[in-house]
Amino acid sequence: MGCVNGCEFPDDLYFSVENNVWARREDDGSITVGMTSYACSLSGQLVAYTPKKAGKDVAKNKSCATVESGKWVGPAKSPVAGLVVAINDVLASTPGLINDDPYGAGWLVKIRPFDWAADARDLVTGAAASVAFKAKMDAEGFGGC
Amino acid sequence: MSENMRTWRVIDTGLRRAAENMAINHAILEAHQEGTTPHTLRFLQFLPSALLGYHQSAEQELDLDYCRQHGIEIQRRITGGGAIYFDQAQIGWELYVDKQTLGTADMGQIARRICEAAAAGIRQLGVDAQFRPRNDIEVQGRKISGTGGASDGDSILYQGTLLVEFDVERMLRVLRVAAEKLTGKAIASARERVVNLKDLLGVAPDFLSVKSALTRAFASAFNVSFDEAVDLNDIEVAKFHHALQTMDTPQWVHRVQRPRSEAPILTSLYKCQGGLMRVAVAVDILRNHIKQVWIIGDFFVNPRRMVVDLEAALKDTPAAQLYANVQRFFDAYPAEMLMLTRHDFITAIETALATAEFSVPVISA
Repeated sequence: MGCVNGCEFPDDLYFSVENNVWARREDDGSITVGMTSYACSLSGQLVAYTPKKAGKDVAKNKSCATVESGKWVGPAKSPVAGLVVAINDVLASTPGLINDDPYGAGWLVKIRPFDWAADARDLVTGAAASVAFKAKMDAEGFGGC
Repeated sequence: MSENMRTWRVIDTGLRRAAENMAINHAILEAHQEGTTPHTLRFLQFLPSALLGYHQSAEQELDLDYCRQHGIEIQRRITGGGAIYFDQAQIGWELYVDKQTLGTADMGQIARRICEAAAAGIRQLGVDAQFRPRNDIEVQGRKISGTGGASDGDSILYQGTLLVEFDVERMLRVLRVAAEKLTGKAIASARERVVNLKDLLGVAPDFLSVKSALTRAFASAFNVSFDEAVDLNDIEVAKFHHALQTMDTPQWVHRVQRPRSEAPILTSLYKCQGGLMRVAVAVDILRNHIKQVWIIGDFFVNPRRMVVDLEAALKDTPAAQLYANVQRFFDAYPAEMLMLTRHDFITAIETALATAEFSVPVISA
């Protein structure tokens, strides 16, 4: 488990540093997407979640879900292009799960990727992810999770 | 940073329909994110409008019949927070900048920094305006400017209202406000919580003075100068027309449709050694969420504004975090209370919450 300024970045995940989201390839080939603990810390307590509808295509680096915290509304941008195959219904009633368990129960959407191999080339993992997030945090003047 | 980068644009897009103002929000934010729009301070005005927060539903928040009968346009913002009433007697201000320029990506810090700058501008008009966490600008405890934001990548839009003059009665008719449930004296209760420049100064300042004061304050806070633009640029105009096709439609305005039964206003009457407390809590049952709390009653606290500051601190609180948020508020807030403790406030609010069935437990004890 990578840990940078108190924020965790699990080793088994792929990260889009620019979008501050993670991706995990499941056994069935689908990609689970969620916000990083760093993104959650920057947002503060999340109070609403609107995912893109299942059955819709999402482009890489385009919104796969919209979240709200402290009167801020913003997109979570997908690290992969593909078809949204599942949304996280539990978050409709408990959007705070995104903060409480960003790498587990707080996942945002599941996507069937069009070209995982190509998209994964732009993602980082393991020690490289920690280095990249450390640089991002330094540039953004972040105090810590 | 070059000298050129330190010059931001200021633009006044004038008095418009809400749909146009929302479409301009979308257009400038998108163009800013794409790098074709400079950092911008925008002023705007509205024809009579009821503006929903991005995730809200009109049925839950507004008196739709009243809006229809009085020609009040209903629109959905791209920013968060609660529903507001807006007409020609208020002025809107908006900043479009990036996180890099602000030196932080922490959304709470960004809101604070911008609100403190706006408050400094309002103070130049002769009233003691201050930022109040999490998103208000207040004068002696009464809200004079509400704010909210939207982000897209590194770009942010942060917007606020400024109440130059304000028709509290009309606001109460448009919005579902719980004050009425507390006392039957809705206007008096709302006036304790909202204030406008005309009431404070005796005369409403002209909009030119207001814009000038805010512009100077933002220039000072961010160490920039402003170049005035008359019109949106061509890219923004194209994006505006495109966005308007989507946003000036019932599909956009009623994109979220939820029944009123999921957003009740719960009340309690709580007696303790320190006195009598009446509480109303607007909740979102589906999201297990406290939208807003109102507290009145016969009890002693000093300063008196502590109660409305507590109300502000509890806006948009997950019900399960009520206890922790009240504790956090009192830990940081010096107040004298006679025979009254922070637990009385928690119990009074929880008593109201207990009258509804949430899908997760909300009671702390």
